Amino acid sequence: MTGTSLRSMNRRGFLVAGAAAAGTVSMPWVAGAQAKVIKVGLPTILSGRVAQLGTSSRNAALLEVEKVNAAGGLAGRTIELVIRDTKGQPQEAARVARELVNSDGCELLIDAEASTGAFAVHEVARDLGILCVHTNSETSSLSADPKLKLANAFRCARQGIHDSVVGGTYAAEIANAKNLTRWATCSPDYAYGRDTTAEFVMYLKQFAPKVEVISEAWPKIFQPDYTESITKILQAKPQALYSCLWGGDLTSFIDQAAIYALFTQMQFYAVNMADYTALTAVKNLPAGIQSGNRYIKTFPATPENAAWGDAYKAKYGEYPTNWSWQNALAVNFLAEAAKKAGSADGKKIAEALRGLSIKSPFGADGTVTMRAEDQTIVGYAVGWGTTIPKEPYVPEMKSVPWQRIFELEAEWKKSKGFA
Amino acid sequence: MKSPALRDALFGLVAFLVLAALPLLTTSSALIDFVIRCAALGLFATSLNLLVGYGGMVSFGHGLFFGMGAYSFGIIMQRTGMPIPLAILLTMAVAAMVALAVGAICVRLKEIYFAFVTLAFQMLVHSMIIAWVPVTGGDQGLRGGIPRPSFLGINLADQKQLYLFSAALLVLGLLAMRHIVSSPFGYTLRMVRDNPTRAGFLGVDVYRTRLTAFVLAGVFASLGGVVMSLFVSGAYPEFAFWTMSGEAVFIVMLGGTVAFLGPMVGTVLLLLLNDFVTRVAEHHGLVLGAVILLFALGLRKGLLDFVMDWREARRTRAQAGSAGKDKMAAADKMERVAT
Repeated sequence: MTGTSLRSMNRRGFLVAGAAAAGTVSMPWVAGAQAKVIKVGLPTILSGRVAQLGTSSRNAALLEVEKVNAAGGLAGRTIELVIRDTKGQPQEAARVARELVNSDGCELLIDAEASTGAFAVHEVARDLGILCVHTNSETSSLSADPKLKLANAFRCARQGIHDSVVGGTYAAEIANAKNLTRWATCSPDYAYGRDTTAEFVMYLKQFAPKVEVISEAWPKIFQPDYTESITKILQAKPQALYSCLWGGDLTSFIDQAAIYALFTQMQFYAVNMADYTALTAVKNLPAGIQSGNRYIKTFPATPENAAWGDAYKAKYGEYPTNWSWQNALAVNFLAEAAKKAGSADGKKIAEALRGLSIKSPFGADGTVTMRAEDQTIVGYAVGWGTTIPKEPYVPEMKSVPWQRIFELEAEWKKSKGFA
Repeated sequence: MKSPALRDALFGLVAFLVLAALPLLTTSSALIDFVIRCAALGLFATSLNLLVGYGGMVSFGHGLFFGMGAYSFGIIMQRTGMPIPLAILLTMAVAAMVALAVGAICVRLKEIYFAFVTLAFQMLVHSMIIAWVPVTGGDQGLRGGIPRPSFLGINLADQKQLYLFSAALLVLGLLAMRHIVSSPFGYTLRMVRDNPTRAGFLGVDVYRTRLTAFVLAGVFASLGGVVMSLFVSGAYPEFAFWTMSGEAVFIVMLGGTVAFLGPMVGTVLLLLLNDFVTRVAEHHGLVLGAVILLFALGLRKGLLDFVMDWREARRTRAQAGSAGKDKMAAADKMERVAT
């Protein structure tokens, strides 16, 4: 290597470092402007395996912010979303969340992180006292465990336990009617998979006491090959199979299991099937898969919900995901709370959020409530139905009245020592 | 031996004073967070360099000790609430014991086998963290925050004080490691790296030397983990995942293995790049990849090594007029490895 080329490389290195340094130094300056604009930080996953979900969160939030701003913003202040990638790493989530508040001057946080990241951001919210709405973590303990409770942190997302109550009830009804007693499970081997499956089985057995689980397969998360699990299930010859695999894992599993004609031999209950990303990714979607609703524009079957799904599709060229409606709803909640409080101040919004019910296309009865006691949403649409391989994908969804969900949830909380 | 140690200590003191003065000059919390993260990753990467640069042992499982540090510290604080300094010492002791057990098996192995078995141990620990839910919280991590009771008038719940504390740990950790590599043990380690057979014939216990280095590296990596767990107020399985080890290897490559502060420079560089690039670009992986290519193919060494070599080459060239050319060639050769 010659002297000149060495020196030019060095200069290039300095340029990169210099640019980066300039970026860091200019951060406080960037944060300087405030006035009429209110910055809302949105850390989410924009790279890696779940990037698609993170992107759909961002899209939905932007869509709603546009509407809120057109209607006058948060108590007269225009919302500016500051969106950052956290790569799905908790330490990055913590860092980015802190930076959004401390350097970018964000006054509110919409935490569109998956579970571990959400717990990391939760700690940042504890440290900084900023109003934070978790929008994608479905882990029940985030809001159910009183040890984790923060006055300034809310959850605007499904909760695992609600899904399990509805899923277990729905499956038990069919199990009783068709005398399906031999069940197998196949779920990803991590906390979400283990907990959700255990809760589903608990309610299934409670409502259909004859049911027994004769085989359990626990593939690793993001596993590319499911042959081992599939043959294990086939050998056990169950009448029905439950799975909470999700995203790419679920679609790979279905594609591979279809080769073994698994779906002609047993009923399949996949809680995460009815999300457009999963429905459209499977090459030959077998008819008759039972699924929970993630996001589907036909459930709730209201013109508002259909219009929202179509508006999203018109803007972004694809249907929204489960993460989309949760983020959209979070923006709606903030807007309504700010209106009620007459202020965009985090503390006042938090006060207004507690117990707030708002009209929403995603509500089971047209409204969704931010329950005051544990600061998490209830009353959202949650149901199960049978999928077909083309639109509307799930022609009919069945639900469980929320009153019933509350009763069972209260029992569950007691059993966990949360209440 | 006395004066270099004194010089290092003075250098450390000045570095600490500069860091301590930083919050007086700026109100940027981002800068403060940045330095805390630098302290965590800098300790971690420099400890890896004890193995890579000075010991010639490329470990792909060093994240094990980083994760171990974060988890042990977090669990101790959540369950016992003992004073923080005591918890840190206990964490380092736990890391030392684990490193002793893992090292006893690994350091006998050569190169690729060493790399792979360390990786295997790391994945074992990672799986244990995921599986041992009642203690570690499984894949959700240690939740509920890490309590930070005040000690000696220091309140780590305050970000500024945490900053000073992290900076102090960083400087002390680096000084200790610097002391280790410039001690007779450090030179024995280099000898073992360069020619284990010869070292053996000279009466050096090669196995014990490598094992000691492995344990020391593990202990300092766990200290990095402690700082990180204080920063995020939690511990997550990602800390013990192979990508964490990969990050440390990446940092060492970026900064350099020869100069003692190479990994520290690498840490600053990586974090700056990371923070800056994720801020402006969506495909940051592409940019980081391009940068590492630039270093691997362009500089062919870490940044600090490159700068040092370049300076050295220039100085020798300047002297070349009077002293002749053979010296320059010799100097060039000498600078290739950590000395």
